[in-house]
Amino acid sequence: MKENILEIKDLVVHYETDEGCVRAVNNVSFSIGKKTILGLVGETGAGKTTTALSILNLVPNPPGVIKNGSIILNGVDVLTLPENKLQEVRGKDVAMIFQDPMTALNPVMTIGEQIAESIMLHGEKDKEKALARAKEMLEHVGIAASRSGDYPHQLSGGMRQRVVIAIALACNPRLLIADEPTTALDVTIQAQILELIKELNRKFDTSMLLITHDLGVVAEVCDEVAVMYAGRIVEWGTADEVFNHTLHPYTEGLFNSLPNLRKRGEDLVPIKGMMPDPMNLPEGCAFAPRCPYAVPQCEKEVPELIKRGTHLVACRAYEDGNFKLRRNSNG
Amino acid sequence: MDNKEKDILLEVRDLKKYFDTPKGKLHAVDGVTFTVERGKTLGIVGESGCGKSTTGRCILKLIEPTSGKIIYNGEDITNYSSRKMRKLRTEMQMIFQDPFSSLDPRQTVMQAICEPIYEHKLIRGKKEVEKRALELMETVGLAPRLINTYPHELDGGRRQRIGIARALALNPKLVICDEPVSALDVSIQAQILNLMKQLQKELGLTYVFITHDLSVVKYFSDEIAVMYLGQLVEKAPSDELFERPLHPYTQKLLSAIPLPIVGKKKPERSLIKGEITSPVNLPDECRFNKRCDFRSEVCLKGNPQLQEISPNHFVACSRVHELM
Amino acid sequence: METVTAKSTNVQYKSRSLAAETWRRLRKNKGAVAGMVFIVILVIATIVSGFIYDYETDIIGQNISERFTPPGLKYPFGTDQVGRNIFTRIIYGARYSLTISVGAVAIGLVVGVLFGSIAGFYGGLVDDLIMRVNDVLYAIPNIMIAVVVVSLFGTSTFNLLLALSINAATSFARIARASVMTLRGEEYIEASYAIGLPQWKIILKHIVPNCLSPIIVQTTLLIGTTIIAASSLSFLGIGIPAPAPEWGAMLSEGRDYMRSAGYICVIPGLAIMVTVLALNLLGDGLRDALDPKLKK
Repeated sequence: MKENILEIKDLVVHYETDEGCVRAVNNVSFSIGKKTILGLVGETGAGKTTTALSILNLVPNPPGVIKNGSIILNGVDVLTLPENKLQEVRGKDVAMIFQDPMTALNPVMTIGEQIAESIMLHGEKDKEKALARAKEMLEHVGIAASRSGDYPHQLSGGMRQRVVIAIALACNPRLLIADEPTTALDVTIQAQILELIKELNRKFDTSMLLITHDLGVVAEVCDEVAVMYAGRIVEWGTADEVFNHTLHPYTEGLFNSLPNLRKRGEDLVPIKGMMPDPMNLPEGCAFAPRCPYAVPQCEKEVPELIKRGTHLVACRAYEDGNFKLRRNSNG
Repeated sequence: MDNKEKDILLEVRDLKKYFDTPKGKLHAVDGVTFTVERGKTLGIVGESGCGKSTTGRCILKLIEPTSGKIIYNGEDITNYSSRKMRKLRTEMQMIFQDPFSSLDPRQTVMQAICEPIYEHKLIRGKKEVEKRALELMETVGLAPRLINTYPHELDGGRRQRIGIARALALNPKLVICDEPVSALDVSIQAQILNLMKQLQKELGLTYVFITHDLSVVKYFSDEIAVMYLGQLVEKAPSDELFERPLHPYTQKLLSAIPLPIVGKKKPERSLIKGEITSPVNLPDECRFNKRCDFRSEVCLKGNPQLQEISPNHFVACSRVHELM
Repeated sequence: METVTAKSTNVQYKSRSLAAETWRRLRKNKGAVAGMVFIVILVIATIVSGFIYDYETDIIGQNISERFTPPGLKYPFGTDQVGRNIFTRIIYGARYSLTISVGAVAIGLVVGVLFGSIAGFYGGLVDDLIMRVNDVLYAIPNIMIAVVVVSLFGTSTFNLLLALSINAATSFARIARASVMTLRGEEYIEASYAIGLPQWKIILKHIVPNCLSPIIVQTTLLIGTTIIAASSLSFLGIGIPAPAPEWGAMLSEGRDYMRSAGYICVIPGLAIMVTVLALNLLGDGLRDALDPKLKK
């Protein structure tokens, strides 16, 4: 039984706006083990970013409200911590990197100074030592130490993202949260960054929560996968389980939408309709209106997560032990 | 190239577009040549800074080319004034990348779609025009109840459908698509791609599909042209390009695509090294040589031109014959 | 043709125009609402007062026996040095401040937005020419321009309007130019070219309407400053001549009685202050109400 770095239980996060209540995250539970890279997959509005921000209690309040749940990091429930204790956790035990490397860096500080700043915020008092460690970090992410005096505008997008990763890993956090870290980058640079992430995961034993909508990225990097839809986890398992023994109809729908798995000339099979408005979620299973396997029962109750060993799925259909998706039936 | 046998709708010859910057001349597009057959799709792929978007805009004369020729349906439109282009605009349209910024936030769906029709007086009478707009909405899958909604009230997929409806309103023959699905979620992308394919079949449209997303372009195009730093480095039919990529850059590009496959046999990934060089003041050598695994002396002696290696498969690499 | 082509979700798309959104947001801002209410009441009052009161007897008619009556029940604002009812004069006099300022700002808006848009859209030499002229006019104080115009062409309401509109125009030109320059690069402008719209139509249909937010805000603020300018001119004797109950003129007349009957001077001053404050609150509220839309 792997030691869990992070355990989220029954997380509920809503945004209370003038126009209504946005139910962004609805009863999400999952955990991340030591040295594991978990991919959190879903489309826009699924609640992935809100989940990630909750881990660091960074959900903007107002209008965001964490209504329920516990987030256990290193044995402590982060949601119960006062602000000053939280600041110690942020950056040191958990670090986060965001999507846009162009705006994530301070334009008037050198990259060496920015990495050093993070180091000094979490213990190191000596500036010289911090700068030296910053240079080490640059080497780890594949940038020559001699460039530590460069400013962000002198670097390309890919290099800036490397610096962002260096800042995040400088204090050797146990968990790194990456929210769409390669979406804004060219595909060849993306490949470099993904290799780097894998390498750092090996070297530093850092666990990772990788948020993305790109199933290719997930396949490349992740050990485990959790699929989110309308604020809930609908499927969770190892990468092999989710990709090769898919259980949830939504996940199947995502795979059917991918052009690179289809032959040219074949029509894509998109999921009809759209993700429901989080202000107006339907009563039962949120995916039921779009689901090709739905039955009337699905619209009445929200399905619980059903276990198939380490593979979990939130779908009534699996109460019947013989149910199989078309994807799996055709081999 | 046998133009008589093929029905060529668009021909671009040695297109160049340079921008003056404080640091020198920026070679955004540097000698691009290709043709597109009527009813087919040419995909132009490349990463940021390769010049593909600029090429698309030059074709439509939204940007004035520095030199070269653009020949549409046999007419040389390179030096056409905006007045002369006006008539042609009904035949050549563009679908833009960002459905969030390519629509005027102050126009309703109905107003946005009717605008081009009114402008070119294709149909007379408000009722008739609005009827046509409703037809277009139905064609692209927009519910009629959305006629008075504003772009900010709709999601990306619906906004992009408005963009498509607008482009179709003039019954164009050629549609330049600049990253039309990149800003959309995967499942919405699939819907829009299916729609675009269906429209091509029904209306006989010719597409130039500009994107950085290789998986989408393979699915969608008949022919693919790969651009790097303003030049074409390889051009081949879609399947051929993916099965037998000959230019080292194309190989790296294809290798870099993260495939959504786990466990089963996946091709080994070969990473490109370094970063893209600046497109300003380029020396006279192969532009890819600094990042190329196969660089040698000959690569520094001038910029390689496109050569036809096998039927319809063009590559711009000095060492291509050795490396094949 | 009511076919619904896609099996959509349960969400009802409320067709809220941008104006309705702005109004909804504005309503929440108490200061802005207070300002708006005040202005509306003032406008109605001044219009009505034109019908109720006779100019000769009620507004400028002297009533020496009642002079210097302090504010009380009969005369809410008291009477001035020649017995005139200050309350009715203030209410009636609002029309001068309002018409001159609204008129000047309106003219300034049309001229300023026109030139500013042209400068922002075409750039280059055109931009330089227009903006340098604009800069020169912007640098000269409002009052001085007015003094020059009035001394050259005489003190009529029209001339005053013209003089004050110059300042407004320079403000609007700057704002319009900045907005246009920002919008010029927007993709929907490029899309309009692709459709084949001629440049002038693009400016009028797509660029100018999208610059409206900062222009609307500036309008309310400029009306406020123009009221002060008009009053200053009357105070100096170059504006609306006595015995018209223009607030600035009333202020000027009341100066001599500051010690003995201070209210004669202070009340018109307060009237100016409160009106400008109301306009500023409204302007601030509008800016906030319009901004989130811009950010989206």
